[in-house]
Amino acid sequence: MFQDRKICKRCVMPESKPDIRLNEEGVCNLCLEYEKNKGRQKKQRPPLESDLTALLKKYRTKGEYDCLVMCSGGKDSTAALYFMKKRYKLNPLAFTFDNGFETEEALENARSASEKLGADHLLFKTDKMKKMFADAVKRHPEVVLCHLCSIWYMDLTFRMAERFDIPVIVAGWTRGQSTERAGVAEYRYGKDRREFTGMGEATRRFLKEYTRENPGYRDFPKSIEEVIKKARKRHRTVEISPHWFLPYSEEEYTDLITKELGWKAPENSYPAKSTNCGLNFLSVYNSMKHYGYTHYHVEMSKMIRAGLMTRDEALESLAINFDKELLNFWAAKLGHRFEEI
Amino acid sequence: MNLLGISCFYHDSAASLLKDGKIAAAVQEERFSREKNTSAFPINAVNYCVQAGGISFEDLDAVVFHEKPFLKFARVVSEHIRSYPFSFTNFMRTMPHWLSDRLSLPIILEKEIGYTGKIFFVKHHLSHAAAAFLASPFDEAAIMTVDGVGEWATATVGKGAGGKVEIFGELRYPDSLGLLYTAVTSYLGFEANGGEGKVMGLAGYGEPVYLDKFREIVKIAEDGSFKLDESYFGFNRASRMFSRKFLRTFGPARRREREIEKRHEDIAASLQIFLEEVLLKMAVFVRNKTGCRRLCAAGGVFLNCVANARILAEAGFEDIFVQPASGDSGGALGAALYADNVLYGEPRRYEMEHAYLGPEFSRSEIYRALVNNDIAYEELPEEEIIRRTAAALSEGKIAGWFRGRTELGPRALGNRSILADPTDPAMKDILNRKIKHREPFRPFAPSVLEEEAEDYFELKVRSPFMLLAPRVKKEKKNTIPAVTHVDGTARVQTVSRRTNPSYWRLIDRFRSVKGVPMLLNTSFNLRGEPIVNSPHDAVSCFRSSGLDLLVMGDFIAEKR
Repeated sequence: MFQDRKICKRCVMPESKPDIRLNEEGVCNLCLEYEKNKGRQKKQRPPLESDLTALLKKYRTKGEYDCLVMCSGGKDSTAALYFMKKRYKLNPLAFTFDNGFETEEALENARSASEKLGADHLLFKTDKMKKMFADAVKRHPEVVLCHLCSIWYMDLTFRMAERFDIPVIVAGWTRGQSTERAGVAEYRYGKDRREFTGMGEATRRFLKEYTRENPGYRDFPKSIEEVIKKARKRHRTVEISPHWFLPYSEEEYTDLITKELGWKAPENSYPAKSTNCGLNFLSVYNSMKHYGYTHYHVEMSKMIRAGLMTRDEALESLAINFDKELLNFWAAKLGHRFEEI
Repeated sequence: MNLLGISCFYHDSAASLLKDGKIAAAVQEERFSREKNTSAFPINAVNYCVQAGGISFEDLDAVVFHEKPFLKFARVVSEHIRSYPFSFTNFMRTMPHWLSDRLSLPIILEKEIGYTGKIFFVKHHLSHAAAAFLASPFDEAAIMTVDGVGEWATATVGKGAGGKVEIFGELRYPDSLGLLYTAVTSYLGFEANGGEGKVMGLAGYGEPVYLDKFREIVKIAEDGSFKLDESYFGFNRASRMFSRKFLRTFGPARRREREIEKRHEDIAASLQIFLEEVLLKMAVFVRNKTGCRRLCAAGGVFLNCVANARILAEAGFEDIFVQPASGDSGGALGAALYADNVLYGEPRRYEMEHAYLGPEFSRSEIYRALVNNDIAYEELPEEEIIRRTAAALSEGKIAGWFRGRTELGPRALGNRSILADPTDPAMKDILNRKIKHREPFRPFAPSVLEEEAEDYFELKVRSPFMLLAPRVKKEKKNTIPAVTHVDGTARVQTVSRRTNPSYWRLIDRFRSVKGVPMLLNTSFNLRGEPIVNSPHDAVSCFRSSGLDLLVMGDFIAEKR
């Protein structure tokens, strides 16, 4: 489906000039930078579960809910909800956001997990973004749809936390998704990170123009930084993921939620064994076409460098496992069709 | 009930988790932080214990600390005042530690792990006594604890029966066998609180010509109690633990890494014999006083396996249980057991049959460490792993053997071990040259099949924790030269088929190839580093040392 590119010998990042280059030995500049910094940086201990418990204690208030868990119904966020309720004995409010492209099986996972855990569950479903998604897919395929969506749902999440006076926002972010300062919860796409430079610029440029030209989206935030800045002024929260702190592997917590909550793995997903909305397939397709990689490649490369995954495991997981039909099934909902696949 | 035991702030920090009366996990902090004998709050070990126990921090019923910090602080202040002005520098150095963390455990616990529940403080030597008796297989036993110093006590004698631990006698600071041994250790040019084992090894080479000097410095009573002449020492001084008078008596101190003279060997031998004399008297006293036929012992001094063997042979006890984590790391375990059996009055439900209480790693973690470090490997069934390893060892190769849970305490007992052929007379030198770089006078230990130990050693009981050094039978000395010390003893580990089946089978397989039911077993680490903990540590050690073979779980990697 995609043109073959040279891939780094250590991680899974392809050559994607000007940001990602391979040296003569076939190792990318990101891996080389990581290697260089590893020796220089003062040895810091990795985040531990006790850091999480201390943080949860510090932010505990007398409000009705202890934390707002962003639960998409995927394995990582369902496990996050499970840990908050069962392991830390908190009263979480589960928050599911449906941009109109969530699969029934994912929504059912979120619903069923909340019910089994006895957690209150808030579902926010809207088609408000549909026009923006459609325009982006048709005219700006370089824009990462997931970035647009996450700017929006993070804004919503902050507003929900504010609405219910909840001090802790919990997500199912993996160690690959977290920032270097895991635990401090700087939720950024990292505009200073080379692997996101091209994608980040495309999203920013698109949003700037699009919100100016489309009055219906005038109030839409222009970047994740803007979302965070405004949210901080309104309400103080900390954003964390239990997966940054716990030693359990993806296999272990997937087994746990399957047994305890009856969680079901999705039939179709990318990467393999993950749950994602239908829009994700379109986003992945466009990212692969324009950049040669997706944000999943970035995350898994980070996991490889941290020794949490092997390159072969990542390559297997990242192999394109969806076809034209599936892609066009979701594209049709935006009035689009990929002809040239 | 879930009790978290903690020992820290002096040396050898550790944590343990007692879950419904049984030790679910226990490990030293150094294994994670990679700082040998670290005294830091054992944050990694605490996290591991909670997670390995399948509980969360919310499920902890109490935290138990291995000593009483305010009592200890009172001793430190009063002793520094007594030794003023010589103690001034040391006082200024240690006070910030006391004020920042040692006296504020509840604050530390809240800050570090968010814990605000119940905390118990158990006296230092009571923690050792509990680690010795309550973890032992005995219903009733005499107890001895001997170390540097706890709050005030430096040694105690007592009795354990059922779930009770009673201390009926104690020696107090500065009369301390542990501090005496440590002072001489540093005098001989080895690191205090870590190099004591080297002195024990060196002792085998010397003659006890200085024994009378030690008897002069330390006056022993018939019950094993003693009075130490303080003018020979300076325990509160920052610069050194011994005085000018000590130097006048024994000659100039040896500088680190300098040549070892005959005098040094003789001093070590004299100290060793003197230590054994004192411990023997104490042991006989406690046996007579309690009428018990078995002895339980703990405290750093009982890592001295030569003395332990002598106590077993000469003090009139039928059996001895020495806590494998005899140093302060065992305090974490003892404190938790004490809280459970004595403070809560729960029945004893635990017997420490093995020390495999630390982290273990999954197949995928091992696999990733190998792949991400570009190590060529094969994944094989256990039987084949054992066959290949035994064959390689019999050909003179040296293997890193990494399987199952990390051992608690300072000894590698077949889960994080470097293994070699004990029959090769050159093996000690090869190991030192290629990997360990230890002082040539230090012996290597054998791991022998439990069932066959008596054929090779003068040993009537099991020694699963490598804490007894019996004599090697005369006719066998030449068979196992690599593990026979110059004085004819060996630091034996008897390996049980029940508690470590795969290690047992490896040795058994080696026997079928080489005819000897034992392997040379030394800890899996490089000089100055803690024993390896994770697959990543093991791979690093494998890459940077002369190890020929690395076995991790069911993976085997061989250097070509």
